[in-house]
Amino acid sequence: MWKDIGDREMGKIRPNSFSSRIKSNRISNLQLSNNKDIVSPHRGSINSLQVDLTEGRYLLSGASDASAAVFDIQRATNYEGDGLIAKHKCLFSVDKQHQKGHKYAISSAIWYPVDTGLFVTGSYDHHIKVWDTNTTQVVMNFKMPGKVYRTAMSTLATSHMLIAAGTEDVQVRLCDISSGAFAHTLSGHRVYMVYKVPVIMYYMVFMVADGVMTVEWSTSSEWVLITGGCDGAIRFWDIRRAGCFLVLDQSQSQLGQRPPVLARSAANKVSVSKSLSAGQNLLVKSRVPQKKYANGHGMKQSTIARMPSKGSARQRLHPGMLSIQDRATAHYGAVTGLKVTDDGMYLLSAGSDSRIKLWDLESGYNTLVNFGKVRLQASKAIQLAVSQDSAQVFVPCMAVVKAFDVWSGKMSLTFRGHYESVNCCWFSSQDQELYTGGNDRQILVWSPSKTITDDTNGRQAKDEDSWSD
Amino acid sequence: MCLHSVIVPMQLIKLNLQPDTKGSYVEVLERFVNLGPIVDFCVVDLERQGQGQVVTCSGAYKDGSLRVVRNGIGINEQASVELQGIKGMWSLRSSTDDPFDTFLVVSFISETRILAMNLEDELEETEIEGFNSQVQTLFCHDAVYNQLVQVTSSSVRLVSSISRELRNEWHAPSGYSVNVATANATQVLLATGGGHLVYLEIGDGTLTEVKHAQLEYEISCLDINPIGENSNYSHLAAVGMWTDISVRIFSLPELNLITKEQLGGEIIPRSVLLCSFEGTSYLLCALGDGHLLNFQVNMSNGELTDRKKVSLGTQPITLRTFSSKNTTHVFASSDRPTVIYSSNKKLLYSNVNLKEVGHMCPFNSAAFPDSLAIAKEGELTIGTIDDIQKLHIRTIPLGEHARRICHQEQSRTFAICCLKNQSSADESEMHFIRLLDDQTLECISTYPLDTFEYGCSILSCSFSDDTNVYYCVGTAYVLPEENEPTKGRILVFIVEDGKLQLIAEKETKGAVYSLNAFNGKLLAAINQKIQLYKWMLREDGSREIQTECGHHGHILALYVKTRGDFIVVGDLMKSISLLIYKHEEGAIEERARDYNANWMSAVEILDDDTYLGAENNFNLFTVRKNSEGATDEERGRLEVIGEYHLGEFVNRFRHGSLVMRLPDSEVGQIQTVIFGTVNGAIGVIASLPHDQYVFLEKLQSNLRKVIKGVGGLSHEQWRSFNNEKRTAEAKNFLDGDLIESFLDLSRGKMEEVSKGMGVSVEELSKRVEELTRLH
Repeated sequence: MWKDIGDREMGKIRPNSFSSRIKSNRISNLQLSNNKDIVSPHRGSINSLQVDLTEGRYLLSGASDASAAVFDIQRATNYEGDGLIAKHKCLFSVDKQHQKGHKYAISSAIWYPVDTGLFVTGSYDHHIKVWDTNTTQVVMNFKMPGKVYRTAMSTLATSHMLIAAGTEDVQVRLCDISSGAFAHTLSGHRVYMVYKVPVIMYYMVFMVADGVMTVEWSTSSEWVLITGGCDGAIRFWDIRRAGCFLVLDQSQSQLGQRPPVLARSAANKVSVSKSLSAGQNLLVKSRVPQKKYANGHGMKQSTIARMPSKGSARQRLHPGMLSIQDRATAHYGAVTGLKVTDDGMYLLSAGSDSRIKLWDLESGYNTLVNFGKVRLQASKAIQLAVSQDSAQVFVPCMAVVKAFDVWSGKMSLTFRGHYESVNCCWFSSQDQELYTGGNDRQILVWSPSKTITDDTNGRQAKDEDSWSD
Repeated sequence: MCLHSVIVPMQLIKLNLQPDTKGSYVEVLERFVNLGPIVDFCVVDLERQGQGQVVTCSGAYKDGSLRVVRNGIGINEQASVELQGIKGMWSLRSSTDDPFDTFLVVSFISETRILAMNLEDELEETEIEGFNSQVQTLFCHDAVYNQLVQVTSSSVRLVSSISRELRNEWHAPSGYSVNVATANATQVLLATGGGHLVYLEIGDGTLTEVKHAQLEYEISCLDINPIGENSNYSHLAAVGMWTDISVRIFSLPELNLITKEQLGGEIIPRSVLLCSFEGTSYLLCALGDGHLLNFQVNMSNGELTDRKKVSLGTQPITLRTFSSKNTTHVFASSDRPTVIYSSNKKLLYSNVNLKEVGHMCPFNSAAFPDSLAIAKEGELTIGTIDDIQKLHIRTIPLGEHARRICHQEQSRTFAICCLKNQSSADESEMHFIRLLDDQTLECISTYPLDTFEYGCSILSCSFSDDTNVYYCVGTAYVLPEENEPTKGRILVFIVEDGKLQLIAEKETKGAVYSLNAFNGKLLAAINQKIQLYKWMLREDGSREIQTECGHHGHILALYVKTRGDFIVVGDLMKSISLLIYKHEEGAIEERARDYNANWMSAVEILDDDTYLGAENNFNLFTVRKNSEGATDEERGRLEVIGEYHLGEFVNRFRHGSLVMRLPDSEVGQIQTVIFGTVNGAIGVIASLPHDQYVFLEKLQSNLRKVIKGVGGLSHEQWRSFNNEKRTAEAKNFLDGDLIESFLDLSRGKMEEVSKGMGVSVEELSKRVEELTRLH
């Protein structure tokens, strides 16, 4: 960092490579923060974490005790340890005591992407509630057919305000904030477990799950929704049309990463020699986006939509694709986590089969990146995170969080700190900080290690971590 | 490629199809001085004239240099003599064909002295017998046929320049004395009391009164500088009048009135001059209050068009032409001497780096070619003039790479942190603190730093309870195995007998990125911490630096500025934050912060509430402290009030100005900040009053409609704030270059803009010209 600052000053490195170099350097130095503590008010496992997308300042957490809380992660509420440890208490929390609060576990808490005036919580009490942040009142309430596993809103959307909800039910529902009604029901996922155990306590639910565990909007088209079901399928939906237009198939594969657009001609040769048939496909496919760029708006969507249209038979499929394709699976077991990279080109998925997969969204193929042997929570949705430049993916693996190189699958960092299983993580690209929440009811902050200015104080702070309360 | 264009002086080259005599296909068309990368600079007023110069650390490694950038034109003094009470000066040649001037006629209130170059090239008093040296001379000139003309209040004398004897004399009518007079090689025009205008022509030994005219008022100034085809004879005479405050053009030899232009106001014209620049003829008319009017003169019918008025100073102006490099320029002597020249058919005014100048005349002698004789404050100076251009850059090659610079007025020195590469290998760098004399810029003392120790900040300051002024240097130990420095030093030096003496040192736990004087203490930014040190007297009388208090909470506190008890910190990646020092508690607390994720490259405090920042994506922005906010949240947030895409990576901001400030003018009150960038650009940011901003903003939006960018690129889009996350239209920033380009527009386009604005072209030009005086 020191040398880079001098080089930037002299014009030896460009400012943008300066910042990306420092960011990736900081990411590789992430460790349990010795100067930032989030004081969790939750009395249940943390299921969802998200920092707001507008200011990068407010962290929203949702927990199994039916509470949700908001923290200011930029400004500490108070300092301890000689001003070295910043304590971040929650600005407010809503829980069962709130007259309109959720009754059971909150499984998903997300910010309204446009500003921090609203947030959305989904709960096992079969409700999705929209909250006004300033008054902490429920402004909208959607009754769902079953427990809500995951909610998502599109960060790109300019023409809709839809909450996509994955629930116990195999149908994905879209709740429209502007009208307060269900806009769509997307049917396609199948019942995976044929029987259901009557549920007495909410956390027992994790034992047997059914329906759609995870939903994620595309980061390149506001109309494309990706859902991962307990049937092991990852389905792509264009919400303007009926039916799903793509089901990811783990057996359709290509090797390696698609080369970046500029270096493509050179790198193509490598992939061709590497993988014979897949590589050739790649060459053909790569021209599609270039043609499509002329259309401008919504081009990503149309590229994706064209993907399965390889054979004429396939093209007919939509809606109601060939049953063989429709039965394709991405994972053996339930899909528990989905994350689209920021550029919208790749999808990372995690399944109850303890596998992480990287999908090329242009071709819809499994890239076969081997993320090694990991143990993932099988019965509960997990929240993955990727770094801004899509170089690293952060995956909750039971009680630890692991960072993998997205393109090689190599594990680069292990974050040990939680006592029990980790459910969710969120990466703040603004500060290069990772927030993780787990069944131990803690929210931990992982930040780039700091050079310590005061030895004595620094050591103490390091030893004393966030569980000592 | 990129690196080299940054560091090496730029050349405009042409690739030829045929090799030249040396077999090269490359022809250098033009060389440009490149100041980049400007890593640091300081603004100093070395001549103590109230005008700043910028001294930059430029270049890199062995090509490193200091550059002294100065606005305005300098006079390089060659000789000077003490002479009080000069009323006028003229240079004369010893014969009409002589290319050089020999005599310098200096007029005083009751005598005239003649100086001449003797054989030893010294200026020596001499005599021209034919001249009347007992009285004040009103005007002198070389005339044809090896003659000289001297005009005094009683007569016009024609003298042979060879024999130096009087050849002819014209006497003023009895009862009248000559008040003002002018002449060229063949003509004399003079005015006596009572508004009489007399026109004489010079022959071989003859002076003929050709015409006489009676005007209704007294005449204040005259000019018959020939600007037509004949360089010895003028067909036009310009006359400035008392009472009706007008300037008139007469035809010669008829003395018929052609044009009369009322000047308006109550200030009489003190000096008129006919001159031509780049083929265009102008009439310049200087008023008693330091204003200058200029008109274009139609040579065939004497019509005056395109009237413009600018203010050059506050005192009466005397105009004189001179030539430098075969181009004619005009020197306006006043309290703010100015050279008027023309570029691209536009008159430009460049100030001369001299205080008050009473009179000036060109004096092109063999010993002092192309020189000027200048009468100022009781002395007569002969000097050469710089190239006529706005900015002057002097390069002081160092042979090593200067990274930080600061100036100390008391010891009249500069101190720089620099590094020298021992060999071509990058690793063997040696770092020094060097002391330079601020006049000669020669190194007078050196303090070598330790191995691996880098100088990273420097400051000249004094401490409370101590009258000495010190240089403080912050360093970092950059060990090859460490990613980030964990050790550094603060060194305090005093300058004694031109030597750097180390007085105190203090070890720090990281790189000292910035040092600031703060309430008689020293404020350092060390890695992520802001640390305050106090200056303590030990029992044995020696001094030491002691830690007082600190503040954490930054990623890297790279840029720090202070004002009063406030500290403004520019973080590596977390924008600007405002800290305050609490005297009672002796602690530093955070007061407010900008929550945007700007990666900073420089910060500056504009005023108590407004702070300026430059960031990684070539943008500038300003934030304001919100002390009146209703909630803690509002008070704790620095509100972004201005955004602008500069397109340059700013390394440093400094308060100061490159131009002399006139205390009474409106623009004199405007605060300016100078910035230096990686590409070598130096720019000025001025804080405008609100009403002026509103006016100029409207002008800018009108100009955008008229001026189309190269390739049709939109100016608005280019100046929009832009980073990875968002793009927002520029606000509360104006592009001065665009606004000033108004003056380059054709009349038709100016009128188009004027129509859009609802303001006359003259008013617009005046306001824009005022703005150009800021830099």
